[in-house]
Amino acid sequence: MPKCTINGVELEVKEGTTIIQAMYDNHQKIAHYCWHPGLSIAGVCRLCMVEIEGNPRLQIACNTVVTEGMKVNNNSPKVKEAVKWGLDFHLINHPLDCPICDQAGECGLQEQYMEFGQYNSEMAEAKTKKHKVVDLGPTVVLDSERCVLCSRCVRFTDEVSKTNELGIFNRGDHAEIGTHAGKELNNKYSLNTVDICPVGALTSKDFRFRQRVWYLKDSEAVCNGCSTGCNVKVYFNKEGVFRVKPKRNDAINGHWMCDDGRNIYKFVNKENRQLKGMKLANGQWTVDLHAGSVAKDAAQVLKAASSDDTALVLTGQHTVEEYESIVSAFVNQFKTKNVYHWWNSEKTASDFDGLLIRGDKNPNTKGLQTVLAKHGVQTQWSQLESALNSGKIKNLVVVGPENVGVYNDLAEKQNLFAKAHNFIFLTAAKADVLKENKSFKNVFVIPTKTFVEKAGTFVNHAGVAQQFKKVTTIVSEALTVSEAATLLVGQDIKVDIVADQDLFNAENKRADQVALDHRKKNEFIFQRGRL
Amino acid sequence: MAVMQNNSEKSKWYLPGIFTGLGITFKHMVKNIFNKKEMITLNYPEEKYEYSPRFKGNHILTVKKDGSIRCTACMLCATNCPAECIKITASEHPDPSVEKYPISYEIDMLRCVFCGFCEEACPVDAIRLGPEWQTPGLNGANFTYDIKQLAYRANLKGGVQSVVDDQERHKSGI
Repeated sequence: MPKCTINGVELEVKEGTTIIQAMYDNHQKIAHYCWHPGLSIAGVCRLCMVEIEGNPRLQIACNTVVTEGMKVNNNSPKVKEAVKWGLDFHLINHPLDCPICDQAGECGLQEQYMEFGQYNSEMAEAKTKKHKVVDLGPTVVLDSERCVLCSRCVRFTDEVSKTNELGIFNRGDHAEIGTHAGKELNNKYSLNTVDICPVGALTSKDFRFRQRVWYLKDSEAVCNGCSTGCNVKVYFNKEGVFRVKPKRNDAINGHWMCDDGRNIYKFVNKENRQLKGMKLANGQWTVDLHAGSVAKDAAQVLKAASSDDTALVLTGQHTVEEYESIVSAFVNQFKTKNVYHWWNSEKTASDFDGLLIRGDKNPNTKGLQTVLAKHGVQTQWSQLESALNSGKIKNLVVVGPENVGVYNDLAEKQNLFAKAHNFIFLTAAKADVLKENKSFKNVFVIPTKTFVEKAGTFVNHAGVAQQFKKVTTIVSEALTVSEAATLLVGQDIKVDIVADQDLFNAENKRADQVALDHRKKNEFIFQRGRL
Repeated sequence: MAVMQNNSEKSKWYLPGIFTGLGITFKHMVKNIFNKKEMITLNYPEEKYEYSPRFKGNHILTVKKDGSIRCTACMLCATNCPAECIKITASEHPDPSVEKYPISYEIDMLRCVFCGFCEEACPVDAIRLGPEWQTPGLNGANFTYDIKQLAYRANLKGGVQSVVDDQERHKSGI
């Protein structure tokens, strides 16, 4: 375990650690483009220069291993000068595209320029023109002019996706990223190249020009695309969610995520959501009802029913907390153990592509199975089918999937559910298709929240429980499954009401909040026009 | 508020004051009848006051040489706008040398404070504040100006040309 001093901080690192890795692990800032913690070392950008005591020349931090007693710094004037001129070389042929470049706002060049640069270019020659708007494949667009040839994307296709589509062609000024002849960048992980591109050379077709990044906020969540449970960052604003990017978690997904997982923001947005409650009674659909009122009507139906003719169907797309509340509501309140697991991808559940993608397209199958086992529920799907066909089950509560894209059996299951006399459907996805199916008798549609709108826990394929927080609210009226379960058993949702006299009490006070007396005084002065 | 009260004997003699006022009015009337050129009022709808060219009035979206819109939909004006009155929807242009352009550009004139920050933020001289300042309309909806109105309204006579030209910039090696 060699000890070293980096920028005056004494560190003890593992044998064979590079200087840049040591700095990255200890949250020290260093300029770099080509080095990425998940890829091999290339040493081509020459930006991560550090000064090592006793060494007359500056060294690159990414390819220099820490040795015992090494004294390193990257904030001396000599290093800053080197980085500044390194950056100038990177910018020789870089076009002034920032206004129309999607990367602007999160661009490595912009960041380093603000840190080290801020000079006028000293190049007298005209910039080399290269190809713009090159279609690399179904997901990615390339702009060669913006590229700084860091080779991260090339190394990604070589080392991580192992598809080898990309390469650097030509030499010198004319060097360009491109795909090999006859190939296109078309693999399940292609959009990771967009994430790791430090400049705006690779942009995502899906996100291209839809928002400027500074209009977006980001928050952490767990991907609900499959049972891997990748840690993701969700980028959103008040108009909805716009993109999903991976967040590093070495135990789960490393630095990457798959392209399918990046589409999970689509079913979250308003245009694909059930916004209001709906009801079908006497062959007549009533729409635009409040979610709570539909749930209360459904509660009346369930109250009148006996425990034998009531059943609950769950999908593996909700949180453990929600399963716990709705299953315990059925087992303890309605005294029925007719709880069934609707599993769309049971046959392919053990499939794995070797990197991230798994065949089970539900994020929380394990969690659901655990909750069912805890409450002693042992049922088979075929039991539900026969019970519905024989008319034994009259009241059916179905907690439907959020990500309906992966549920191919939706239409087929609808016909099965239509056999129940009262069909109570908790769904986040738009349920307008139910209107076309004429075999339904009584239907209650209750809109529910998606995974970005609630806090909870997903248990992934390996049994790792991952908690996540609420990101944002898209459909404010939708209920979580827990809230719906509370309403279905005939109770009211508890809302924490703060009494008037407690409004300004200590527990409800921010650290920087002004005392009430001061506020009153300020307001008085403000109204008198003296402030 | 303090109210000044004058209860002196002098203040009860108001008739001299009234006649002085009438005298001033009559003097100006006679002056204006015999010397119309010096009159400082305007017959407003027919005669209009000329503002300086730097006046910040209604927005103009400039156009390129070929008459298409200059704006690249970079959203810097919308970002800089303190009134948040600019709404842009960007899209991909079929011509790869243009790449990005606005399919809709709307300014809510009633929200706009005419500060000119959009003009300052624009990297390609695509938006300017022009000399027009009269914005009549029948209801609130008429005050959301779109590209048609901002760039091609009748009194711009086919559009104002931008001073920043991509082809020239490319030729000079930028």
